Amino acid sequence: MGSMHRLASKIQRPFHLLGSRLMEWAHHIGGLVLLIWHIFLCLMPWNWDFDGPEIWRNMYRVGVQSFPIVVVTAILVGAIMVIQSGLYIEQYQAHGLLGWGAGYSILREVGPILIGLMFSGRVGANNTAELGTMKVTDQIDALRALAIDPVAYLVIPRFLAMIVMMFLLVVVGNFTALVGGAITSQYLLGVDMMLFYQSIISYVLLDDLWHGLIKSVCFGFAIAVISCYFGLSTRGGAVGVGRSVNASVVGSAIAIFVIDFVIVYLAS
Amino acid sequence: MIRVENITKFHQGRPVLQDISLTIGEGTNLGLIGPGGSGKSLLLKIICGLVTPEEGKVFIDDIDVHQLSVQELADLRFRIGMLFQNYALFDFMNVGENIAFPLRQAGTYSEAEIAKLVKEALIDISLPNIAHLFPNELSGGMKKRVSFARAVIRQPPILFYDDPTAGLDPVTSSKIFILLQKMKEERGVTSVTISHDIEGIKGICDRFALIDEGKLVFNGTPEEIEACHIPVVEKFWQGYSDDELGT
Amino acid sequence: MDAPTTTSPQPRREPTNFREFLGAIGRPFVEVGGTVRGIFSVFGLTLYYLVRGRTRWKAIFEQLHEVGNRSVVFIAVTLGFLGAILIYLAGFQALQITGDLQMLGGLFLQLLLREFAPTIAAMMIATRVATGMAAQIGSMVVTEQVDALRMSAAQPIDYLVVPRFIATTIMMIVLTIFAVLVAYSAGALTAYLSFGLNVRTFVDMSFIGWFDVLLGLSKALAYGMAIPIVACHAGLNVFGGSEGVGRATTAAVVNASLAVVILDFIISGIGYVILSLVS
Repeated sequence: MGSMHRLASKIQRPFHLLGSRLMEWAHHIGGLVLLIWHIFLCLMPWNWDFDGPEIWRNMYRVGVQSFPIVVVTAILVGAIMVIQSGLYIEQYQAHGLLGWGAGYSILREVGPILIGLMFSGRVGANNTAELGTMKVTDQIDALRALAIDPVAYLVIPRFLAMIVMMFLLVVVGNFTALVGGAITSQYLLGVDMMLFYQSIISYVLLDDLWHGLIKSVCFGFAIAVISCYFGLSTRGGAVGVGRSVNASVVGSAIAIFVIDFVIVYLAS
Repeated sequence: MIRVENITKFHQGRPVLQDISLTIGEGTNLGLIGPGGSGKSLLLKIICGLVTPEEGKVFIDDIDVHQLSVQELADLRFRIGMLFQNYALFDFMNVGENIAFPLRQAGTYSEAEIAKLVKEALIDISLPNIAHLFPNELSGGMKKRVSFARAVIRQPPILFYDDPTAGLDPVTSSKIFILLQKMKEERGVTSVTISHDIEGIKGICDRFALIDEGKLVFNGTPEEIEACHIPVVEKFWQGYSDDELGT
Repeated sequence: MDAPTTTSPQPRREPTNFREFLGAIGRPFVEVGGTVRGIFSVFGLTLYYLVRGRTRWKAIFEQLHEVGNRSVVFIAVTLGFLGAILIYLAGFQALQITGDLQMLGGLFLQLLLREFAPTIAAMMIATRVATGMAAQIGSMVVTEQVDALRMSAAQPIDYLVVPRFIATTIMMIVLTIFAVLVAYSAGALTAYLSFGLNVRTFVDMSFIGWFDVLLGLSKALAYGMAIPIVACHAGLNVFGGSEGVGRATTAAVVNASLAVVILDFIISGIGYVILSLVS
């Protein structure tokens, strides 16, 4: 009897694990949808009650915090993409296509994805940690006790700031990535900068740029919502804050790739 | 014997300990008291070499703690036990493994000896049946006692207690103080105890030092502290505040 | 850096004179310099204890599980989508330019090996594992567990960093191979579903040489060594409560991702130079 029972529980275990995992995911997705709905309600014109200076302050923080890292990442990404294209260009002696190869992949795909991942690490993680610390030190409950809606007060300024800044940072990042690529092509590959530049101008379409920028706005949206959600649902002291940050960056990374896929699918 | 000479420590350009000198003789049980945030815990960490001061020296049995190599410091720490303020139990080990950890680190005990010593230690703190539990399953008082057992398992002659009764109810506090008392009487240890529970440590300490805003204000026996008329010492010793909200 | 109460932020002081202006420029460089030095000193100590210290098989296996097994689903999801995206884009471009999809699979595999599989997988590990390590070690620092380790005569680097270092280095290589397989399968599926490309045509190993495999593996090895060091450095340098843990996890993911990008640039550059010397 005992051994039967053990066997039964052994068979049950994977199902139990699967089920609890699924419940957890469902819980998070439900929470995210509720948060989006709440944000949506706050953004309705008849609910407009924006704290202008607070939004500016958040924009300043988000932008200034991540500017250096985005620039450094973008320059290196531009260089890497030029090197990778260069490996093929060398093979086929098609130097005129270097700008196209690097420019197309940077503007359309690699730029927004890598800057998005960096943004989620720098700003999203920071945001989760901040809100999480406020949650575990009961500051969020203190706001509620003062009849202040934490979403309207804390989430909305961050949400707006993150979307706007993600867009602007990708614009800056695209530019610096192309500069980094041009420098690499001149000095490492020996392809003239002007040739690189002309290749971009003549082959890369405005559509490619827009495609990347639309992605950046969607990534900004996803990172903002996910980082705020995990921040506000933090539980359990310092360990809990660490766990939330972890969940936030993992969730943002998954969201970035899934959204990217959906946009690429819809655009073609 | 522990000798602290002219310790000064800065944090972000601000002095948190200023020119502290103390001598703790063999077998002395020093009570380190003072308002929160005055640098008591930091001093304790400096004494056992966890934090390096900007100026000054610490000698334990005439060995300069801050001049030692990593290996020598490790050897010295075999003779020191420390009870941390936040329990500092390893949360990835169960209670038994936690208590056995210092013994395993020493590398000179067999597994059978370790098992026996851990069992005895658990009986000493009157929690014989919790070796398989993890720290997050214990109450605050139990964690403190387990942490105590881990600190004394190697029978160190020197013991540091960083606020052993912080956040505990009076009944649990008295249990902890009984353990400290036992250490003093049975093993004759040299100890430093940080506490805010003045009544509690009166029973186990034979000297007191008071630190306020990073400075050593008072150092002496209980009789001397009774006779002392420095305002901050009087206030702390008798536990009242005469100015409103203590500026 | 940031107070948890953003409701009443301290306005950053503007540089009022020339000296402060210079200070504002110099400070970030000093900070970055300090971080880099700290990371290299952790790396040096890790190598020292790797050679000198005991090998803790139990801890290494726990970390292998933590780094490897628990990242599998995450890597599968992200790299799977990445493979699909890349094939989608590349396929449409190839159709427009040459109208021929014969080379798609072969070139895709080559590009995966050289660049995308190791780098994106490492970015994902930097996200998931580095934050986890920094949070765990950081909260150990905050709750004085690291001090307790030192008081028990155990060196934190030996005890905490070395097992993570070994496990991540091994698992990074394994996960990179896994990432290639996942992304390639997802690519093959996408090519079949949206371009009707036969899987047999897609699976084409003729482009790959020893160079591609070596480049991919050396990247994976470098990332696998860098990520745990950067993450543990961030964790060990925590100060101040749950706020500090949050700051450390942020620093870990940013520094680890940056380390990946910088190493990618260096190794790709060296690879390019070697290839152009060989040919």
